[in-house]
Amino acid sequence: MTQTLTAPTTSEPFYLPVHDEVELFRAAYEQRIPVLLKGPTGCGKTRFVERMAWEIFGQRDEPDPALITVTCHDDITSADLVGRYLLSGEGTTWLDGPLTQAVRTGAICYLDEVVEARKDTTVILHSLTDHRRTLPIERLGTTLEAHPDFLLVVSYNPGYQASAKDLKPSTRQRFMAIEFDYPDREKETEIVVHESGVEEETARQLASLGEQLRRLDEAGVIEGPSTRLLVHVGGLIVRGIAPRRACDVGLVQALSDDRDVQDAVSHVVSAVFPA
Amino acid sequence: MTLLADGLEVAAIRDRTRHALALYYRALCGEVCSLVPYDDGSSPWEHADTETTVWLPRRAPLDDHAEFDAEEWYRVAMTHRAMHRALGTFAVDLDKPEPLFARLRPKDTGDPALPALTRLAGLFGWSELGVHIFATLEDLRIDAATDRIFPGLAKAARGVHHGALHERPQPATLSPRAAAIEALVRLSLGGSLVLAATVMEEPIARITAVARRLRSPLATPESSVEAALRICDILADLPTTGAHRSVHEIRFAELDGDPEDPRFDVASLPERLAGAEGFAGWYLPVAYRDWPGPRYVGEPASDESLAAFLPGVAQRSISPAHGSEGEEGTEAEDVPSRAGDHPPTSGTDHDALPDLRPGSLPAGSDETTFVRDGALRPAGPNEFVYPEWDTYAATYRPDWTLVRTRTVAPDRSDHGHYRALARYGHLVGRLVRELERVAPAGREPARRAPYGDDLDLDACIDAMIDLRTGVEPSDRVFTDLRRRTRDVAVAFALDLSGSTAIALPPDPEAPGTVRRILDLQRDAVSLVAEALGRVGDTFGIYAFSGSGRDDVRLSVVKDVEERHTPTVWHRLGGLVPDHTTRMGPAIRHLARRLSGAEAATKILLVLSDGRPFDIDYGQEYGEEATLTYAVSDTARALEEAAELGVHPYLVTVDPDGGDYLGRACNPRNYHVIADARDLPEALTELYVSVRADAS
Repeated sequence: MTQTLTAPTTSEPFYLPVHDEVELFRAAYEQRIPVLLKGPTGCGKTRFVERMAWEIFGQRDEPDPALITVTCHDDITSADLVGRYLLSGEGTTWLDGPLTQAVRTGAICYLDEVVEARKDTTVILHSLTDHRRTLPIERLGTTLEAHPDFLLVVSYNPGYQASAKDLKPSTRQRFMAIEFDYPDREKETEIVVHESGVEEETARQLASLGEQLRRLDEAGVIEGPSTRLLVHVGGLIVRGIAPRRACDVGLVQALSDDRDVQDAVSHVVSAVFPA
Repeated sequence: MTLLADGLEVAAIRDRTRHALALYYRALCGEVCSLVPYDDGSSPWEHADTETTVWLPRRAPLDDHAEFDAEEWYRVAMTHRAMHRALGTFAVDLDKPEPLFARLRPKDTGDPALPALTRLAGLFGWSELGVHIFATLEDLRIDAATDRIFPGLAKAARGVHHGALHERPQPATLSPRAAAIEALVRLSLGGSLVLAATVMEEPIARITAVARRLRSPLATPESSVEAALRICDILADLPTTGAHRSVHEIRFAELDGDPEDPRFDVASLPERLAGAEGFAGWYLPVAYRDWPGPRYVGEPASDESLAAFLPGVAQRSISPAHGSEGEEGTEAEDVPSRAGDHPPTSGTDHDALPDLRPGSLPAGSDETTFVRDGALRPAGPNEFVYPEWDTYAATYRPDWTLVRTRTVAPDRSDHGHYRALARYGHLVGRLVRELERVAPAGREPARRAPYGDDLDLDACIDAMIDLRTGVEPSDRVFTDLRRRTRDVAVAFALDLSGSTAIALPPDPEAPGTVRRILDLQRDAVSLVAEALGRVGDTFGIYAFSGSGRDDVRLSVVKDVEERHTPTVWHRLGGLVPDHTTRMGPAIRHLARRLSGAEAATKILLVLSDGRPFDIDYGQEYGEEATLTYAVSDTARALEEAAELGVHPYLVTVDPDGGDYLGRACNPRNYHVIADARDLPEALTELYVSVRADAS
């Protein structure tokens, strides 16, 4: 089954804008232009969508959440998104899929890592993402008109998916794209402090570490490290784990299984954090 | 966890250390480098770093008192070098303001088209001394900044500095100028005192006052320029001969000098310093720091000694452009001629190979061309005959070519492979990951299977719905875990014709080494093969050359069915270019070899540097016809390979390749790489797409 999450709307999600992404998203929402978020893993795409859903809808009550997130994978079928019949005592019952639910109730539907889904699955998005704003439900024999509040948001990480996996141009050209990157050192320090509760000096060192290691990302040696990963390491440090050890378990092992690369990453870690 | 190495190069495990250090360097400064070890006893200028080569001693200088281990020593040395890059030593801007000194730099520093470092050397009268002082001050600034940026390294760095200080000779018998320089070097290593004559106290105090400022977090490379001008001014007035008998301790902390002394006279510096020796015979280099080479005067690639290099730079910079008709033109002309005058000496082992360009062969001369007619016969187990396509007669010539296979004699070392890994190692990891993504190992569930391990819920529900609505349900209601096959056999065929021995023009982006197409092919195959070894794809490496249809040589580096052993890398190093490029028979042979291999997907990748050519490859139809004849036969051989179930790809680094291959070959079957230097990177990318395409 599909991993479907509804956003925790009880409190305002923390998000630190890096560029003009908040204004862009608002403008796109006002025009109901579907949004494509591009960027490396762990740079805050999901958090951004949560934040925007909160800003746009404020606090919504169940059962109609403001944001419905679907994490895509290569086994996802259109039934997983649209819905399926289930067996029941008297016969069959129809259960809306997450996409259908969002279309009906007028939520933001966020398809995370959309290229992971099979290409035939993404095609069902086409009529939703142009002037029609409709979702054909083949099994019900109906076509659903999208709620006026509905917006489709998808994300993908162009570097991470191999060239073999890419969005079809016919899909890609339906979206407005907002590009994300890791925040700069100052912003990242602030984020790590806020999210992990670590001291500012340590957060700054973590951010600087992230900056150095991302040069290996540019070289294609590793991916990241993401801001999220740095936050995790910060969390370990707050819990009293020594910084080098926290980096070892949280960063070195997470970034690569290649011994040479691990050695190089440990070298950088031990240059930044004293024993 | 980490590998403890007390030397840089002994065995493969050390190569791993080198690779990790190269990646470390890359993380710190974002640049690629190859790490090369040097032996004790070599002159320092022989191991001056270039932009892409980092020299480190084969053994770390450890002694019984050392407060660090070898690995820490290497890390300190690499950090120092990386921080030179990251903190802008080689990106000096002579016009940029800096916060620490009153500006003494002249407004006019010469021809702005010249690199800033070249103009900087001019401020010191093109003397080695000026460059060495600037480099030492940068060392001081870099070490201070490194301490701030990398607190985790501070302890090891302190130990290494102490060790270096411990090795310094006592300056008591040095000339006044040398003693002052020694004092500066000690100061830069964090020393607290120097032994010198009383009269030396004043100049040393002035030098100390200037140099100390560079420890400030505000210091920039331009600050070092200002400091170097001041210190050189002081040194210029000190004699280079004679020594003081009586010396006493001079403590840096007690010295007081004025860094803005009004006596500084920078304008006359070029005259006063012209010809001044650098850190000459008396000087003991600091092993963990890089030795300044031509890179410090704006020539990132040269491996000449600074002393030999400077006069030429001075000459070129002082007499710009023979007039004023265009400095850019002069600069552009200068570069190749410079490279041509001094072929780097550290190149590969094959420098002396003769130029065997196809054009230089006596093609068409009477002795070699049409004397051999008729069908050929194999005379041994290593000989194979193949037909050839005659496009003008539109027919095959049966048994027309004879392929002789031989195993390549291994080279003594496999350094080529590890050098390639050090240089392009980052591509391997990426390639491995991409290959695993294209064709992940493990199992995948098949849905709606007629039999299997588990019920497919969706299929069951559909079946139930069908049952209740009175439709005959499908019996495909299972999910089945099937093993995904990554069953690939790939053969690489390298062009070993004489033309692959031609040195490529120097690469402005990766200067420092002379490379040949063969080296690039070797590197490219090394990388891909390393990745294939890791993901488990079967591969073979072959090289083809020849001279005539009865002498097509196929050198086997690794047969498809041979086990993958380190010998393969030795053999790859043992490839030597000879003669011509008759591609057809090589492709036919390898396609047959592959078609016999047990694999679901078979790929043949032919790497070539130019058009197919042999001494009797269509010459009977006239010299103009040879290209068409040879290309048609090659294209036909590629088609035959496809018929045998092999996916053939011809990769050429000949920029004109598209012109002639396009006429005969299926566009899916060939790929032109415009710049041979991109070959390693391009081949890895190409392999991924070929691999995705073929399976």
